[in-house]
Amino acid sequence: MKLSEEEVRKITFEAIGELGDKATPEAVKELVRKQVESMGGDYKLEKNDVSSGRVILTSFGLNHPGIVAGVTKALGDANCDIQDLSQKILGDFFTMIMVIDISASQKDLKEIQEEMNKIAELLKIKIYLQHEDVFRYMHRI
Amino acid sequence: MPYEFGEILETIRMTEIEHFDIRTVTMGISLRDCHDRNIEVTKQKIYDKILRYGKQHVKLAKEVESQYGISIANKRISVTPISIPFDACNLEEFIEIARTLDKAAEEIGIDYIAGYSALVQKGMTNGERELIKSIPFALSQTKRVCSSVNIGSTKAGINMDAVNMMSEVIKLTAEKTKENDSIGCAKLVVFANAVEDNPFVAGAFHGVSEPEIVLNVGISGPGVVLEAIREAGNVDLQQLSEIIKKTIFKITRAGELIGRKVAEKNGIPFGIVDISLAPTPAEGDSIADILKAMGVEDVGAPGTTAALAMLNDSVKKAGLMASSSVGGMSGAFIPVSEDMGMIRAVQAGNLSLEKLEAMTAVCSVGLDMIAVPGDTAATTIAGIIADEAAIGIINDKTTAVRIIPAYGKKIGDFVDYGGLLGKAPIMEVRTLSSAGFVGRGGRIPAPMRSLTN
Repeated sequence: MKLSEEEVRKITFEAIGELGDKATPEAVKELVRKQVESMGGDYKLEKNDVSSGRVILTSFGLNHPGIVAGVTKALGDANCDIQDLSQKILGDFFTMIMVIDISASQKDLKEIQEEMNKIAELLKIKIYLQHEDVFRYMHRI
Repeated sequence: MPYEFGEILETIRMTEIEHFDIRTVTMGISLRDCHDRNIEVTKQKIYDKILRYGKQHVKLAKEVESQYGISIANKRISVTPISIPFDACNLEEFIEIARTLDKAAEEIGIDYIAGYSALVQKGMTNGERELIKSIPFALSQTKRVCSSVNIGSTKAGINMDAVNMMSEVIKLTAEKTKENDSIGCAKLVVFANAVEDNPFVAGAFHGVSEPEIVLNVGISGPGVVLEAIREAGNVDLQQLSEIIKKTIFKITRAGELIGRKVAEKNGIPFGIVDISLAPTPAEGDSIADILKAMGVEDVGAPGTTAALAMLNDSVKKAGLMASSSVGGMSGAFIPVSEDMGMIRAVQAGNLSLEKLEAMTAVCSVGLDMIAVPGDTAATTIAGIIADEAAIGIINDKTTAVRIIPAYGKKIGDFVDYGGLLGKAPIMEVRTLSSAGFVGRGGRIPAPMRSLTN
C-alpha cells in the first residue's frame, strides 16, 4: 500500500505530539516507521523521488565494432531493462538511443552514469544518460 | 519509441552544445523572526537559520543536475531585505550583519547571498537610512553579499532623496573597492519596481509577502535561442517570433521540472520560474548575437530596440504558456560586461549609453553592468538613475541600474572581474550637468498609471 505525502505528514505530526519533549529526529523516525508498517505501508525514505524509473540513453561517435555489445553488456550487468532501442548509421557516424528502465537495478542513476562514462571513454564514443522526465516536460504538453 | 529521434537529439543538443543551463536555483529565506535586542544574538539567529535551511542546498542541487543531465550554474540564497527585520540597528550593526551573511554563505559553499536591501520608494525609516549608509562598508568588507535598494515604483513615484543618496553610495563603494576594479558596484543594484521573487543575484531579495522559505529558479539559454534563429534562416518576423516561442517553451518546461525537483529534495515549497535570457561571457551565450542574428548589423543600429522588444515579448509569451508559476523578471537581460557581443559593440563605438537606455525600455531589467569613468559626478549618476527609474514607473515595469564608476579609470580602460561578471569597457557619459534637477530633492509624484483603482 502506498501512503500519500499528506498521510505520512499526519503520522509524523502525531508521532511528534506523542513523544513530546523526548522527540529527537531518530525517535520520530522510528515511531513513524512502526506506524507506517502497522498500516501496511512501505517505509522507504530514499529513492522515491523518481517519478518513473526510465532514463534515456543517447550515444554517438565514430562507428566501429563492439559499441552496442559494450553498452548493452554493462546495462545487463547492472540489471537495467532495455525497453526500446533505435539505432542509425549516418555516414561514418553511429547514433543509438535507448529507453531503459533502471527501477530493478541495484545501482542508482548516478552510478550507472559513472559506469557509462567509463565505457564511453573505452569505446571512444559519447554517452548521455538523462531522466525521462526532461524529455516528457520538453516535448509533451 | 515514446519520443522521436529528433526530439531526443534536440534536447541533447540544447544541454550539451548550446549552453542551455539552469542559471540559478535561489533559496529565499525569511529572516523576519531573527531580530533580538542583543546584536550578538541577532547574528547567531541569522547564521543558524540560513545554515538550517541552506546547508544541503548545493549538494541536493548537484544531485538533480546529474539526474537530469542539465547543469545548474549557480546555487544561491536570498534573504528578507535586511533593513526590515533589523530596522533598529545602526550602521556598525548592519555591517556586522553583512559579515554574518558572508560567513553563512561561505559555510554553505555558495558564491553570492543577496538581500542586503532596503525598499525606500516613498520614504525611509531611520534603520533604512543607516543600512543605505552602511552599503559601501558592507560591500567592501565582504565577498559574497549583494545589495539592492528600491528607489521608485509606479505606485509611489521616485524618491529623489534616495536617488541622490544612492549615487553617493555608489561612488563611495567604487572608491572603497578600488583595488579590485570597484567590484563593490557590481554587487549593488538600484531598482524601480523591484520584484519580490527575483532569483537573479545581485538584485534578488526575499520579499515581505513571500513565505517562510521558498525555492525560485532562473532559467537561461541565449545560445539555444541563437541557434534556433540561425537555423530558421530567412523567415518573416511573425515566423521568427514563433520560433523563439517554441524554443523558450521547451527550456521553460525543463527549468520548471528542475526547480520543482530541487525544491522537493529540500522539502520546501517551489516558488517561481524566471525565464530570463541572461548572457554569460562565454562565446555564443550572448543577447547581442541574437539581435544580430535577427538582422541588425550590430547592437546599436536603428532597429535594435524593436528587435529586442520582440525578443523580450516572445520570451514572456512562451514562458506563460509553459508554466503557471512564471515570475521574477522574465525577459531578456542586456548587461554589458557579461555579454561578449555587447562588449564588442561598445568597443566598436556602435553602442552608446543613450541607445542602451532606449533598449532598457523594452528589455526586462535595465542599465546593467555599465562601467563609466571614475570621475563621473555623483549628480550625473543620480540623473542616470532617475532616467532609468522614470522609464520603469511610467511603463509599469522593473528597471534597474548597476553602474560602476570605476575608480581612477577613464574611457578606453577596462574593468575586468573574470568569471560570470566578465569585463566591461569604460563607456562615455555626457558631462552636461544634472545637478540642478536632481538637487531639488523630494519625490517625483506617482504617475497617472498608479491611479488604477
